[in-house]
Amino acid sequence: MSADTLEVLASAGKGQSTRTVLRFIILSLIAGAAIASRLFSVIRFESIIHEFDPWFNFRATKYLVANGFYNFWDWFDDRTWHPLGRVTGGTLYPGLMVTSGVIYHALRALTIPVDIRNICVLLAPAFSGLTAFAAYLLTNEMAPSPSAGLLAAIFMGIAPGYISRSVAGSYDNEAIAIFLLVFTFFLWIRALKQGSMLWGALCALFYGYMVASWGGYAFITCLLPLHAFVLICMGRYSTRLYVAYTTWYALGTLASMQIPFVGFLPVKTSEHMPALAGIFGFLQLLAFLDYVRSAIPSRQFQTFLWLFAGGTFGLGLAALVIATSAGFIAPWSGRFYSLWDTGYAKIHIPIIASVSEHQPTAWPAFFFDLNMLIWLFPAGVYLCFQQLADEHVFIVVYALFGSYFAGVMVRLMLTLTPVVCVAAAISASSLLDTYLNVKSPNPEEHQADDSADGSAKKAAKAGLKSTSKPVVGVYGWLSKGSVAGAMTVYLILFVLHCTWVTSNAYSSPSVVLASRMPDGSQHIIDDYREAYQWLRQNTREDAKIMSWWDYGYQIGGMADRPTLVDNNTWNNTHIATVGKAMSSREEVSYPIMRQHEVDYVLVVFGGLLGYSGDDINKFLWMVRIAEGIWPDEVKEREFFTPRGEYRVDGEATETMKNSLMYKMSYYNYNSLFPPGQAQDRVRGSRLPEVGPSLSTIEEAFTSENWIIRIYKVKDLDNFGRDHASAAAFDRGLKKKKVNKKKGPRQLRVD
Amino acid sequence: MRWLPAFVSALCATGTLAAKKSTEQRFTEFHTKSLASSPVKLLDASYRELTSAPRDYTAAILLTALDARFGCQLCREFQPEWDLLSKSWVKGDKSGDSRLILATLDFSDGRDIFMSLGLQTAPVLFLFPPTIGPHAAASPEPIRYDFVNGPQSAEQVHAWLSRHLPDRPHPPVKRPINWIKWIFTTTMLAGSLTAAVVAWPYVLPIIQNRNVWAAISLISILLFTSGHMFNRIRGVPYVSGDGRGGITYFASGFQNQFGMETQIVAAMYGVLSFAAIALTVKVPRIADAKAQGVAVLAWGGAMFLMYSFLLSIFRVKNGGYPFSLPPFM
Repeated sequence: MSADTLEVLASAGKGQSTRTVLRFIILSLIAGAAIASRLFSVIRFESIIHEFDPWFNFRATKYLVANGFYNFWDWFDDRTWHPLGRVTGGTLYPGLMVTSGVIYHALRALTIPVDIRNICVLLAPAFSGLTAFAAYLLTNEMAPSPSAGLLAAIFMGIAPGYISRSVAGSYDNEAIAIFLLVFTFFLWIRALKQGSMLWGALCALFYGYMVASWGGYAFITCLLPLHAFVLICMGRYSTRLYVAYTTWYALGTLASMQIPFVGFLPVKTSEHMPALAGIFGFLQLLAFLDYVRSAIPSRQFQTFLWLFAGGTFGLGLAALVIATSAGFIAPWSGRFYSLWDTGYAKIHIPIIASVSEHQPTAWPAFFFDLNMLIWLFPAGVYLCFQQLADEHVFIVVYALFGSYFAGVMVRLMLTLTPVVCVAAAISASSLLDTYLNVKSPNPEEHQADDSADGSAKKAAKAGLKSTSKPVVGVYGWLSKGSVAGAMTVYLILFVLHCTWVTSNAYSSPSVVLASRMPDGSQHIIDDYREAYQWLRQNTREDAKIMSWWDYGYQIGGMADRPTLVDNNTWNNTHIATVGKAMSSREEVSYPIMRQHEVDYVLVVFGGLLGYSGDDINKFLWMVRIAEGIWPDEVKEREFFTPRGEYRVDGEATETMKNSLMYKMSYYNYNSLFPPGQAQDRVRGSRLPEVGPSLSTIEEAFTSENWIIRIYKVKDLDNFGRDHASAAAFDRGLKKKKVNKKKGPRQLRVD
Repeated sequence: MRWLPAFVSALCATGTLAAKKSTEQRFTEFHTKSLASSPVKLLDASYRELTSAPRDYTAAILLTALDARFGCQLCREFQPEWDLLSKSWVKGDKSGDSRLILATLDFSDGRDIFMSLGLQTAPVLFLFPPTIGPHAAASPEPIRYDFVNGPQSAEQVHAWLSRHLPDRPHPPVKRPINWIKWIFTTTMLAGSLTAAVVAWPYVLPIIQNRNVWAAISLISILLFTSGHMFNRIRGVPYVSGDGRGGITYFASGFQNQFGMETQIVAAMYGVLSFAAIALTVKVPRIADAKAQGVAVLAWGGAMFLMYSFLLSIFRVKNGGYPFSLPPFM
């Protein structure tokens, strides 16, 4: 082997082009890892759409592909919210469906025959690869070291906080929205750094795409103005900021107003106001003042001008308050407001409080979703304070707000994850850069300079206290080795943790459940699809199905039957009507069901299998929501025993035992067990010996593991009797006759 | 013979009139009382009189126990609201068009009534609907207002009353302007403005100090990521007993936590972050080789131990978690 080859090998990775190639390969591998780690559910189960909302998105996508874009835009869906219907085209975020539609048609044009379902299932993993790339770009804007970007990309690619919403089959708005979020932030930072109108316009374009895709766009709408505001407060107003912000705001708002669901909201509602009246107006003023200041040198005049600016700002704020109270500007929407006043939702909008992903986050959830990143994150934020250029301010602001929101609502962990990945990558890369440097400093040299270092100290005074001394470097192999080794262990642990979490917690389709048999083999519980298939094959095409709103999208998507309510909870009264029907006595429920032309009622019951996400456990929310509309007819108090317990066994209250939901859940359940042994495995209670009886509805179908039970609503009685007495007659009970009082029998003697 | 029942009932009414005061008389009497001071304070006898059967008015009676001996926190919290409600109701309805009497019966004045109603708890608000007249209810039984959700505001009770009194005027609750609070706020505002102006030259360097902002940001991030907001919203206990006289610091279950627990976790995160910061920023700036080696080992060791401990705590919360680091295996 000649010396030349060694030379070439040693210098590999030093040249610029070699580095680019390496970086490209690494990023491709990261994207591959990001996609691969999201495929557990496809491998374990099958290529299937997950959970609830994705079923609606899937159905809408199929409609888009079948009927074309314009029909989709004007779509009125009469198969949901019976009898109201839903203006679906105008009340959804179309970004996701249009993206899949475009991919579908592009692949078709390339003569690749692919099913739209597979595109929908694999869209989220594909976009996660792009998210990793966007995180790489964003981090490169922050950190001098390119390795930070690569670390951020891999963190973003496999962090469970993001995987939770983007596994294969989780075809939800978040699937593409997180990519758009990170990429919009990258474009914003670029535009701000360069003061470039082109990047600002690109940022607006992707912001428009984001608005078309996810309601969470309000996060960007609030974060960018906040960043601008903080910069102004720090005295960092510049023409760069002016150009970037105004370009983004003007074009972005116009773009967002093209979405029918958003429409004029950006100029009418409070959550958009900081962006419009607050910062956009303020920046115009500042630009004007800046211009005047450059023209007029007088010191006093400047003071006057600043007062003028402050006064205008105050007046503007007052005008805003007046406009809000006069009703020109809608106040904060309830969903958004509940983020600040955390007690608000529980009192005023139970339907929001009822959703499990709107609950506050306990600490284990943070560690579960982010593992070691959660403690590298503050360190990264601290490092941002070291340099504190405009883009670092962005990370700090984002970190603060992201962590607050994630603490209030479990679901918003998703918006926190990108900044955690970026900050943790900055921290991890600077730690590794410090300890993986082969060159060690010479001790004598530095001991000498230490005394004559006054000038350096003065220069660093503006920064953090810890950076007042000059960097020396790390001596000794032991120090380097131990820290780098520990860091490697942590990183390996992180990868293992992410894989374990993804595989165990986030890869269940929730439509299909998996359990283990005693011998360790996997057993698939497929009750949902069994029941939906039954509906599809055994009922009329326009048979109306009543169920709690959670299952509305699935019934629409899998069984293709009209539903009363679904997961698009736009009409609280209609949901409360269903809640009332479920929580009232049969005699009350029956007229409600007749009025809504209900043919079948579907309930989810987990008592046999121990499946805790069933309707009896959600029942209190139905009661609460119904009570919000009919406080005199449905009372939560009556579902609790006098001792304040929520019980389903013999001790349950009369209201509970007579409610339609209770009866439907436990009807005939006794027959599975020996007499008196019936047991509910979710609530761990023994049921009364005599089960409930039903008169106005009859059992139509019960799935294999009793998870889904479907009841048919009876037609009116042929003889005009009420159902209770008709059912009593069928059971063979005699009609009670009113005994006429007769006197004692007497022997007649003539 | 259509007029016969009417005649009989009229006769009965005259009969009761002879024994007791008429319903009209009673209403005027109590209404005058309430004009003087509202809510009307009842005694045993007046309670019976107010709620006796033929009545063409509505009576809302709060049964309460204000005496300090009974230690009824809820009663004392609700009393000002009740007073406010009845005052503004009477003020808005001086002529008595709503035909509602608001009254209070204290336990010390009406022990027998409490006994006969079988009341175990206080406060209880009863609404006695009219039995005769245009608004007569089907059942003479009183409607009970539940105080299950803690102390109620006057507005909430007002809404409940209004719901049960349809087609009658509902004078709104008028909260008096709290002058003391306004004056206090204005003074405080002016004071703090003055203080701000005076202290400005001294405060400015603090506001512009990067270290201060870094500290604030890091502390709030640590608070939020360790579940502080969960404690605020759910109002979790600080610590809890373990049933054997000891104290448990860690709540069982993945979705649960105690106040103390989050502080411990925040401290652990803090130590880990600080170790990372020290290793990145401080250690490479130590000029002395030996001191630096010691610092590296100290911080690196602290980080390793703390992370191991954190993993062991997390295994307590999440039973099936398989990963751990020595020494806390």
